[in-house]
Amino acid sequence: MRNALTYTLTLLWSLQLFAAPLTLPEPDAGSTCPVCGMFVAKYPEWIATVQYRDGHAHHFDGAKDMFKYLFDLPRWAPGHNAANIRAIGVTEYYGLTLIDAREAYYVVGSDVLGPMGHELIPLASEGDAQEFLRDHRGARILRFDEVQHALPVKLDEGVFE
Amino acid sequence: MSSALRKQRYLLDYTLSSLARRPGKNLGLLLVYTLIVFMLASVMLFTHALRSEAVAILQESPEIIVQRLVAGRHDLIPAHYLRKMGHIRGVLERKGRLWGYFFDPAVKANYTLMVPDEAQPAADEIEIGATIAATRGVGLGDIISLRSADNRPFSFRVSGILDADSQLVSADLILLSEATFRDFFAIPEGLYTDLVLRVRNPRELRTIAEKLILLLPDTRPILRDEVLRTYDAIFSWRQGIVFVLMAGAVLAFVIFAWDKASGLSGEERKEIGVLKALGWETADVIRMKFWEGAVVSLLAFLLGYLLAYAHVFYTSAALFEPVLKGWAVLYPEFAPIPYIDLLQIATLFIFTVFPYTVATIIPIWRAAITDPDLVMR
Repeated sequence: MRNALTYTLTLLWSLQLFAAPLTLPEPDAGSTCPVCGMFVAKYPEWIATVQYRDGHAHHFDGAKDMFKYLFDLPRWAPGHNAANIRAIGVTEYYGLTLIDAREAYYVVGSDVLGPMGHELIPLASEGDAQEFLRDHRGARILRFDEVQHALPVKLDEGVFE
Repeated sequence: MSSALRKQRYLLDYTLSSLARRPGKNLGLLLVYTLIVFMLASVMLFTHALRSEAVAILQESPEIIVQRLVAGRHDLIPAHYLRKMGHIRGVLERKGRLWGYFFDPAVKANYTLMVPDEAQPAADEIEIGATIAATRGVGLGDIISLRSADNRPFSFRVSGILDADSQLVSADLILLSEATFRDFFAIPEGLYTDLVLRVRNPRELRTIAEKLILLLPDTRPILRDEVLRTYDAIFSWRQGIVFVLMAGAVLAFVIFAWDKASGLSGEERKEIGVLKALGWETADVIRMKFWEGAVVSLLAFLLGYLLAYAHVFYTSAALFEPVLKGWAVLYPEFAPIPYIDLLQIATLFIFTVFPYTVATIIPIWRAAITDPDLVMR
């Protein structure tokens, strides 16, 4: 029974049906988002974190700002190289745990607003994402790679396409 | 000391001796003024203390409580509702709770009986709140006898005395094991008092509550925020009642103070005339009278606030307790946690000291600009 459970879990894992929890440095009271300049620790439900190989990390008050940052590193973090990024974490909506941003599902266009307005809401599994989409009247579900460069800016204007 | 400061000191000096020349009248004013500040401050301090106590209690409480309703009344909820509810996204933990009230005729008070989540006492043991221990006069290892719902006597050994941060929670609390609880209240297996859900993301609470209503139509989900709001409303309402009761007294004070402050007596007019004849400038007279108002009102404010502080935090607001608290019997030991809230002090200050001081200025200015000859005649 136990073995079967472990097996199923491993299988689910390998199929990436849900994202594994992640441990990254936490923002302290003075950490600000490099993109919008807001204090991050005040919004624990929204924290996203990019950690570099040398251990230092940048924190964001929402996945949207994190994407803006990743799409234009020279602007938001001069001297940083995308190749040196060790891990990217986002706070998943239902359990508020930090998960790998590359494995998360993102819902845009929902009625849940973050500190910076319309957001990409990170969810741990496809099931979570679909239920969230239904419950909160979201527009669509995206994977990490499907987020277009123009999307975060469009979200600021309330456009979800 | 700079000359401007020295001048103020002399003015203050003159004001104090001038006040001392009419001791009866000024002491009377001070007394009434102090009383008003005392009453207002007592109510504010006590309701605020009660409110923060309620918030402290509810901090630990679960985010959602699910109660079953039968004909609009709270009823026991079957354990299979947990299964029926299924896994709702966003709910981290769900479980049934067992708790209830018990009226103890020996001390004429209600106890709260509860089955703790973990570390349940043994079958014939209970843990009791400090207030119960004091009222029943029992200590660790002593035996307490209670009569159950079907009139069977139950004897419990006291295995622990609860000591919580908040007296309001632990005062009347008795913890016992699940089997004993069911036996004592004749509640069969498979029934709980209510169900509690733990939710991590506060944003999701409303959605979960909506899903619960659809899944379990005969239940009512209660959100922690709603409970908090209700407490808040109750305390504000009680505070309002006391303020209305006090409105008469406050109004009387306002009239009294206005009369004292604005209508200058002939004697005072004469005094101003003499001062002006001696060469005082209008500004000096106004300053002197300002100091008079400030001394009286500041003194009254300080005395009133200190008395209220002692009243609320040392005597547990003995005067207002019945109106402001009163939702259970066994809280004789409730002592609010002392605090000083600067915003609250500022509010009280603005509503008491400020109007009085301002009210004194205009009539004095009017008297001070008239010709001394005219005033003294």
